[in-house]
Amino acid sequence: MRRCIFLLTVLTVININTYAQLYFTKNGNVNFFSKTILEDIKADNNQVLSVLNIQTGTLRFSLLNNAFHFAKAKMEDDFNENYMESNKYPKSTFNGAINDINNIDFNKDGTYKVNVTGDLMIHGVTKNITIPATISVKNGKISGSSVFNVAAKDYQIKIPTIVTNKIAENIKVTVLCDYEKK
Amino acid sequence: MTGKIKKYILLVIIVFALAGLVIVYKTWNKPHQNIENAVAIKITAAALYNGFANNNAKTQPNFINKVIAVEGEVREVLRNEQHQQVILLKTSIAGGSVNCTMEKNANNIKPGSIVLIKGICSGFINGDSAMNLPGDVFLIRCYPSE
Repeated sequence: MRRCIFLLTVLTVININTYAQLYFTKNGNVNFFSKTILEDIKADNNQVLSVLNIQTGTLRFSLLNNAFHFAKAKMEDDFNENYMESNKYPKSTFNGAINDINNIDFNKDGTYKVNVTGDLMIHGVTKNITIPATISVKNGKISGSSVFNVAAKDYQIKIPTIVTNKIAENIKVTVLCDYEKK
Repeated sequence: MTGKIKKYILLVIIVFALAGLVIVYKTWNKPHQNIENAVAIKITAAALYNGFANNNAKTQPNFINKVIAVEGEVREVLRNEQHQQVILLKTSIAGGSVNCTMEKNANNIKPGSIVLIKGICSGFINGDSAMNLPGDVFLIRCYPSE
């Protein structure tokens, strides 16, 4: 009986310690911006699920493509139906890790420039990428941000030539997440 | 060809070109769907969540990209990165919510209130099993409903 209680206590402590390293958000923001001669195209997705393990640096993002909101309904229709084919490829994901996780002191307020490497899956195509990111620690709260470019053709997103003047080849993607402790 | 016929042909071409431009302009600038006045499929937060979590393939076509009105108890009221109000509705799974991003803030909605939220269902995102984090069902462009 004593052994059982000891084992249960050890397992509970291990469990608490494991969760203490885990942070998440279900309402992160990913937005993209494309500046063109005719019109600027911007869309926001505020329903980004992201999990971060501050011990291992493991970082994961998942979002629904149809949750991107554009200023114009036609832009939104074209994005979902013609470019992202959101019915066929409903999600975009990133699975990777913060390379320099050991350089971050999560017990002290500060801003840290890091690199993140992992598999970015958009439109059913997965590419291994390394992107710069910033991790901020303030009053025990962790937030992350990143700005990087995505080339539509790398992910086999076909944009008809008639509208290529409306959409830049490289699309600027911004990620903003405020994490909470699990 | 006489000058008169040429003028008529030119006029017809101009009329068609103008009509084309009007159609392109109207299509490009068509407004977003009016969610507030749209007919919605009514469902409870628990039933919607269970439908996605247990039988995603069958539930998806019934709700994804459709205007739905979800009834449930408010678990939490948050603000997202763009300071929009986010209302989490309780489900039968602890930590699993119907996650509603509001188009218009509703200041009278507090945790514990029973509400009916109308919005477009974008789908379900799985949580993280290693982290014991359940996923959420997501609604966008939401309004409080009567």
